[in-house]
Amino acid sequence: MSASDPAPPLLHIPDRDLYVVPIRHHSPACSAHLERLLAEVRPAAVLVEGPCDFDPHIPLLNDERTRPPIAIVAIRTSDAGDAGNRVTSYFPFCSHSPELIALRYGAAQGVTTRFIDLPSQSRAMQTNEAGVPPPSMIGDEAAFDSGDFVTALAQEMGCRDGNEVWDQLFESRIANSDWRGFFGEVGHYCACIRAATPAATIAADGTLSREAQMRAIIARVRQDVDGPIVAVIGGFHAPALMQAQRKSDTYTAPVASQGSGYLVRYGNRQLDALQGYSAGLPLPGFYEKWWEWHKANSEQTDPRIWAHDLIGGFAAHLREDNRAPSFPLILAAVEQAGRLATLRGRALPFRDDIIDAVQSTFIKDEVPRHGAPVLKELHAWLTGTQIGDVPASAGSPPLVEAIRAQARRLRFAIDDGETRQRNLDIYRKPTHREASRFCHGLSLIGAGFGERTAGPDFRNDVGLDRLFEIWSVSWSPMVEARLVEIAHMGDTLEQVVAATIAERIGDLETQGRGRNALAAIDLFASACRAGIGEGAIAILDLVEAEVIEDADLPSVIAALDDVALLRRGHEVIGIDDTAPIDRLVATTWRRVLILLPELAAIPADQAQPSVKALADLRGIIELAGSAGFGFDLAPFEQALVRLEGSELAPQIDGAIMAFALLDGRATGTGLAQRLRGELAGAYVKPADRLAFVGGIIAVARELLWTLPQVIEALDSVISGAEEEEFIALLPHLRLALMPLDPRDIDRLSAMVARKLGIASDALQSLLAISEAEVMANLSLDRAMAAKLANEGLV
Amino acid sequence: MNAETSNATMAAEHRYADELAQLARDDTAPRPDGWRLSPRAVRRFILGYEKLGVVRKFYGDDPLVDRAIVSLMSRQGLMLVGEPGTAKSMLSELLAAAISGTSALVVQGSAGTNEDHLRYGWNYALLLAEGPSERALVPSPVLNAMRSGRIVRFEEITRCPPEVQDALISILSEKALALPELGADRVETAQKGFNIIGTANLRDRGVHEMSSALKRRFNFETVHPIADPAFEKELVMRQLAERLEPEGVSLRGVEEVADLLVKAFQDLRTGRTAEGTSLNRPDAVMSSAEAVNVLHAAALEAAYLGDGTINGGHVARQLQGVVLKDSPDDGKKLRAYVDHIARERANRSAVWKDFYKTARSLKLD
Repeated sequence: MSASDPAPPLLHIPDRDLYVVPIRHHSPACSAHLERLLAEVRPAAVLVEGPCDFDPHIPLLNDERTRPPIAIVAIRTSDAGDAGNRVTSYFPFCSHSPELIALRYGAAQGVTTRFIDLPSQSRAMQTNEAGVPPPSMIGDEAAFDSGDFVTALAQEMGCRDGNEVWDQLFESRIANSDWRGFFGEVGHYCACIRAATPAATIAADGTLSREAQMRAIIARVRQDVDGPIVAVIGGFHAPALMQAQRKSDTYTAPVASQGSGYLVRYGNRQLDALQGYSAGLPLPGFYEKWWEWHKANSEQTDPRIWAHDLIGGFAAHLREDNRAPSFPLILAAVEQAGRLATLRGRALPFRDDIIDAVQSTFIKDEVPRHGAPVLKELHAWLTGTQIGDVPASAGSPPLVEAIRAQARRLRFAIDDGETRQRNLDIYRKPTHREASRFCHGLSLIGAGFGERTAGPDFRNDVGLDRLFEIWSVSWSPMVEARLVEIAHMGDTLEQVVAATIAERIGDLETQGRGRNALAAIDLFASACRAGIGEGAIAILDLVEAEVIEDADLPSVIAALDDVALLRRGHEVIGIDDTAPIDRLVATTWRRVLILLPELAAIPADQAQPSVKALADLRGIIELAGSAGFGFDLAPFEQALVRLEGSELAPQIDGAIMAFALLDGRATGTGLAQRLRGELAGAYVKPADRLAFVGGIIAVARELLWTLPQVIEALDSVISGAEEEEFIALLPHLRLALMPLDPRDIDRLSAMVARKLGIASDALQSLLAISEAEVMANLSLDRAMAAKLANEGLV
Repeated sequence: MNAETSNATMAAEHRYADELAQLARDDTAPRPDGWRLSPRAVRRFILGYEKLGVVRKFYGDDPLVDRAIVSLMSRQGLMLVGEPGTAKSMLSELLAAAISGTSALVVQGSAGTNEDHLRYGWNYALLLAEGPSERALVPSPVLNAMRSGRIVRFEEITRCPPEVQDALISILSEKALALPELGADRVETAQKGFNIIGTANLRDRGVHEMSSALKRRFNFETVHPIADPAFEKELVMRQLAERLEPEGVSLRGVEEVADLLVKAFQDLRTGRTAEGTSLNRPDAVMSSAEAVNVLHAAALEAAYLGDGTINGGHVARQLQGVVLKDSPDDGKKLRAYVDHIARERANRSAVWKDFYKTARSLKLD
């Protein structure tokens, strides 16, 4: 990008006595210089870039109960797409926002104080370059971070990004008393950024019409007010506001019928640009500390003490959890920060120098890919946890309004706290489905609004065919209290649910490895029921990470069971796009395949869990087939074939054999021979003789009646056994046949009867004994036991 | 230094002698005592400086280089840690060459390293003839560096037994070494400019722990593998060209194969493919350096035993040798990768098809 060096904009236009003050939003240095400017110029009017319909909030901003960070939130109706699509966006202020400094000065001095941008409802404020509504009303700062000019400058200066450039050129000059020089250079810098921005971009994103509005309001105020005017403007717009009003500039007045937003509490976390909030700056806590340090220390203080104070502050923060670094380490970090600043050509250590210094000195080990705990802690500390406060007169937060409105629309009674029952026909009526999502969402965020008393339960595979959900709901004051409490998390139920899910995912991640795949799947299901399944896909990644590291076949199969149920129940819990679940199912399936060969290494006495898992696996494969999402069975069969060729514990061998029989790889004849060999085997323990058949029955008990050879083999062994041998075998035989349910037993006994040539009821022997006789015998038994106990014989 | 010697075997201070001289002429910033260049010029030497035609030698983490330079100005030593093959040794060589003008003062850590390698030994003939004297004393690279105020490098520090490692503790904290044999009060104090750059692998098999007393005397910097596949590919191809140049070998199909190789290495290194499929990471080290080795061997096979066109099959055969090193499980993991990921890609790309066909027939477990 080549462009001629633009002329630096004038700070003061004498003929109109107008000061156009270029700023970067939330910059402490800009705020400090602005305070100096205001004290010296003593303006008769203070104008601030911001939607002109926000003017009614100015007195509230200066209210003594208002404590930043706060934001004016505008709820706008987007006319793009479907009607009624509401968009919320924020105009945030923190204690070191130049805008807030200016507005508070104006309000306190009682001079004309106004916002001068287009109304928040106007079209130019509603879309950005990409044509989508921006989350923030404050000008987009992308130009400061990633514009062509800034990127090139960062490269030249050896800085990693535009923020570092800004810090080095301007932020570190907070204590300098020359505000004219400072704003002159900020203006020049911004003019360069603007000169390097393609004209098409400027024309497309509404910048020009906003600037026209600002010029128009400045001109109006100029007519009404005598004395100097100070206009505090995002640096990008400053060059355009030097000019007097043009003929084409028109003033757009706010429409009275449209709301002008609410003043709400805001949090440092939301101010953090690193977390995707575009109206902020990275690590707001750092700048807050910089601002406070500057306020607390006179201009004569050696600025190098700053690094000392900041690193010391972080050490003190660590000390709260008894993780304090030693004193020499703190000194080494301060020294390191100073040297880094010198190497990078800075007057004093700043944000990146201090973070780098802490990384170099505090960590005495390898930093893992996902970052070291100390650095995460430092980032959290430099982000800050502050949440602001607003006077009660500011009205209720948008979240409460939004949920109230939603509840009314979905016909929930919210005017009293009575408990009511609501039956929701979730499949056939879209509004009922929406109501169900609403209830699920509120219970996910812990609002205490309702409880589901009945409905389909995909997890336990119960009631999947139920058409209704039954909820017991009540809108108590506690619900609103909870909503106010979490209002900073979002403006709509959907946003808050998404934020809650994100938080829980974070918790699951920090809990680390272990069996939390189940918890994660439950969480995912809750998210889906609340209607934001798509936004909760990250949970599936978590499950996937868990599965991929799991070396235990039974537990991987248990996970496969869960994800297969999830996949099958996808309609019930409201997931339309099954691709991410399918991927998870496929990964888990692959993991099963990878672990299958491990079965060869399992000793006979530990085979039970694996056999049970194999039995489950068969069920899962069938469930998958019936639900229409089959697995790739070819590699599964290959793995089984490989296993068939290796030496296995008998029970596992039986289970694998069952698969072979089901797939037709083995025949009844081969089985019969093998069975006889096992049942008549020369094992030390009789139990081992039945292990093989036990394995077969566990996986496929129907083979007992579909393959006559099984019964024949059992029969020949039993009939050939001596009585003593039979008694020894009996308990194990019962154990092996345990998976059979009463119907199976009837069926089996019928077969045995046929084979023996007798009527099937002949196998059941009924003892002819009357009830009275039983009672008499029982009482005799009890008397006998008591007598024995009495005489100390038992 | 023999002019015929190939570039690959030359020490950094010789290979980049012109650049160092240029930087020294241009250097006006203050230099710490004992340094040949200012910290800023050292930074330019490593990260490149277009104005003087200095090429960039270390990629991917500029702030790390800043931190490393500054650590060497402090009382702490510098410890570069990270997986093998992440250019730790190269970085230490460049730093030593730029700061002290030599990267030759180096101790190679191994199980056989003893305290004499860190302090001093004796020329026993002279020792017997003259008794302990300055002439009979054989200084270690560490003592040499202390005497001349230069940087000494200690490679693979964790391969040394802990008691040997700990000999560094007093050297780092006192910056002095007693030579009692030469007199009761004889102490060698380090000249300004002396410091130690260690490189270590903390997680490899067969390495020793470092004592926390020693760790405290170092600033640690972790060098991570290159995360950007495009850059890794560029690096791999450049290094391959350097290696093949003396052999006069030219090959067809390198671009596609390098692409496959880097993709496979990144997949196996991170445990996740670019498409987002998870897989099990092998324990074996999958570094860029290993990738270069694989590609080099594959290229030689294609050139001398094949028809001069390198394909995915050559890589598959060589990859086996890299992965099947550490743990028997790695074979299974590679097979799972081949069976699932490579098979799927084989449908879409010829080079992956060759890779899949060859890899499938390998004996991996």
